[in-house]
Amino acid sequence: MSLFWIVLGQPGGLEEMATSKKLITREEWEKKLSDVKIRKEDMNKLVMDFLVMEGYVEAAEKFRVESGTEPDIDLATITDRMAAKKAVQCGNVEDAIEKVNDFNPEILDTNPQLFFHLQQQRLIELIRDGKVEEALEFAQEELAPRGEENQSFLEELERTVALLAFEDVSNCPVGDLLDMSQRLKTASEVDAAILASQSHEKDPKLPSLLKMLIWAQSQLDEKAAYPRINNLSTATLEDPRDL
Amino acid sequence: MPSTAAAAAAANQPDELIRRLRSGDGAVKLKALRELKNQIIGNRTKKLSYIKLGTVPDVVGVLASSVSIDPDPGSGSSLIVESAAIIGSFACGVDAGVKAVLEAGAFPHLFRILSNPNEKVVDTTARSLRMIFQSRLAPKYDFSKNENADCLFSLLNSDNENVTGLGASIITHSCKTIADQKILSSAGVLQRLITLLNGSLYQREASLEALTAMLSSNSAVISNFVDLDNGRALSSLINLMEDKSPRTRLLAITCLIVIGRTCSSYLQDIELKNKLILILVELLEEPDRVGDEVPFALANLIVDREDLQRLAFEANALDKLCNFLQRETLQPKRFEGLLLAIAELCSRLESCRSKFFSLKVLNLVINSLKHDAADVRTVACICLRNVTRSVKKLSAGYFMNEMVVDPLIQLLHDSSNSVQVAALSVISNIVVDFANRKSIFLRCGGIKELVRLSQSMDPTLRLNAVLALKNFVFLADNSSKECVLAELTVSTLVSLICDPEPKVQEQALAFVRNILESGIDSIEPVFTEDGIIINAVGRQVRNALDLNVCLEGIYALGNVATGNELHKEAVMHQILEPQVNGPSQSVLMNFLQGNNSQLRVGAIWCLINLTYPDGPGTSSRIARLRDAGVIGQLKKLADDPCLDAKFRVKTALAQCANNNSCAK
Repeated sequence: MSLFWIVLGQPGGLEEMATSKKLITREEWEKKLSDVKIRKEDMNKLVMDFLVMEGYVEAAEKFRVESGTEPDIDLATITDRMAAKKAVQCGNVEDAIEKVNDFNPEILDTNPQLFFHLQQQRLIELIRDGKVEEALEFAQEELAPRGEENQSFLEELERTVALLAFEDVSNCPVGDLLDMSQRLKTASEVDAAILASQSHEKDPKLPSLLKMLIWAQSQLDEKAAYPRINNLSTATLEDPRDL
Repeated sequence: MPSTAAAAAAANQPDELIRRLRSGDGAVKLKALRELKNQIIGNRTKKLSYIKLGTVPDVVGVLASSVSIDPDPGSGSSLIVESAAIIGSFACGVDAGVKAVLEAGAFPHLFRILSNPNEKVVDTTARSLRMIFQSRLAPKYDFSKNENADCLFSLLNSDNENVTGLGASIITHSCKTIADQKILSSAGVLQRLITLLNGSLYQREASLEALTAMLSSNSAVISNFVDLDNGRALSSLINLMEDKSPRTRLLAITCLIVIGRTCSSYLQDIELKNKLILILVELLEEPDRVGDEVPFALANLIVDREDLQRLAFEANALDKLCNFLQRETLQPKRFEGLLLAIAELCSRLESCRSKFFSLKVLNLVINSLKHDAADVRTVACICLRNVTRSVKKLSAGYFMNEMVVDPLIQLLHDSSNSVQVAALSVISNIVVDFANRKSIFLRCGGIKELVRLSQSMDPTLRLNAVLALKNFVFLADNSSKECVLAELTVSTLVSLICDPEPKVQEQALAFVRNILESGIDSIEPVFTEDGIIINAVGRQVRNALDLNVCLEGIYALGNVATGNELHKEAVMHQILEPQVNGPSQSVLMNFLQGNNSQLRVGAIWCLINLTYPDGPGTSSRIARLRDAGVIGQLKKLADDPCLDAKFRVKTALAQCANNNSCAK
């Protein structure tokens, strides 16, 4: 929450300018910014969090050595997580399931939705490869019992099996299941479940901070003209236009 | 390549896999274990079929031999990891699996492995043990044994978070009695659990569950907890109500509810109460397990607490709950919880009930009386029971129609006892019906069913059936009363008055009292078959040890005393008989001399009716009462500390005096 106030630059006394916008010059703004102290360790933690969550193992390791920032999870597990995620992205679902089970057998046992989605993805891959008989057998043996346990699984299963009914799957109402986006969706579920099993949040903090920055700037735009950050990748302050 | 596919399929066949599990070759065994693991994890059907095939003892066998021999630390530990993971998976969510794992003797092996130096081995084993302890079938861990207590502390003090989590799970599962709570608390476990609240998410949640188990209904342990670290323990719990993880929020709230229900002083702060409710209402939106448990926690928080019910109502909890109830494809657990929370909200406040009716969910609740799950049918009844407490709707005869009555009567045949009892409790409310539409209930065959259940072997069913019959005849017209008596029969009524359960006796006597309430025409039926009913009533008044039984009885006699000379004489006979276990004077004198003001008032009412002027036998009755010392006793009560008694005594004495002066 402290970062949120940094971005706002502690806008004390802005309220009385409700009718005409206040102009804040670059000098004033930079002075305000330099008054806010941010601990270097906090910045480092944010960077480490980003590297860990996005799976940059080597970068995280280097950063750990160089900055002395300790990651909050074992870096070795990142490799396992990325491998499981990647396996789903490549369509090797069986392989992904094995990797998740090796990592922590509890994940799929206590997360029926994820387990179902992985099995569903396996079925989709079989259909994609044209293995109709195998797909039907798999749906019957592995997926039908899950559908009996849960109504919403049954509906998803029906939608998936419907793929078999169309000659031209690329042009059918359930064709989206064969899209790459479906694999990515399942993969990110795997990613999130592994992170959750490590008591970790599923999203990195940095992007949400940037979202807060954008929100805070737009709030401030109502009240003042000030040196804005328009390009997030360079983060340069741009002079306010004259009022 | 069809041949390889077929070969692979054959290799996957269960019996083939089991054969390889038993192989002497470590590599073959390991491969089979891995296949088995990947087949059963997440797959209930596969688990059950392998359990049926007797696979569990084979896996436990591999575990046991790998632990004892361990020829090569590398492959040995893989065998342990795989077999321990499989054992944990069998125990996860499948009762039959837990049973099989325990029967195969996996427990001691797993505990022994916890001291293995290999971290992966310890992780997997601790997880598997935790799976077992999450089942209600797991054996109770005996904290009173010293070696067990030592073992638990070393688990809780471990650096490995899976192991500390296991320690907490053992407490959650096994800390059930006040003695358990005391042992753990005096050994400093609270302190350790509070430290774990600052650990990882997983440790925090395991520790919250264990704390809830330790604090439940134990005010001594709760005050220990509250005093720890100058109250910081309690405030960290309160802070966790706003944690990022929904499950942590729910567990912290559950723990606070347990504290507040035992020691309400810690749950007095209006802001805290409000926050609790707002967060719970917000958590209703959560999917899966958390969302399923939230309505139960809410119900638990507000049960019997009108202040909290009002706060929940003001936080729009009822709207939200009813909104959720209308969603499609609700799992039975969630549905049950929602109904229960609605039921508790409507248990006391009329404002909640009117809101409930305006939200148009009554039909949905009535439909759920036919739900497949018995638990849902039960809470649907409880919900109806509480909303039908609305006097406003009852007096309008709102519930007395076939749509409500028919499904309830059907539930009186339900296979589940608790459903039957719950259905009776709704019927008891709706048959009160001030709008005189009781005939609808008769027409639907309800009385027949109530009479059937009043003869049940189960005392709770009998009690609730008689209670419903009593409410039905309350202010009913004479023809309805006659129908009920004819259906019930005199002999059944007598045996209910003499039931082995005092509570049933009480309701049966109250039934008689209600029957007798509408004048002389309603008294005559009680005098059929040589007056065996009035004899039974008199016998209970004289014999019963239970205050309420005596009270209902004396009031029933008082009602009879409003009848004709014959009726009055019968009452005289009953009350001038001596009490069986009391002093050798009449039961009437005993009541008048007794300490209980309610009984005095009941007896005086009886006398007022017996000495009512204008009866040809009144003078003779007064004379007999005087001879029995009753009038003298009445005079002593002229200054009764109970105002009701004092006032009635005045009336009775005035009647007697009046009669005297007329006679002279």
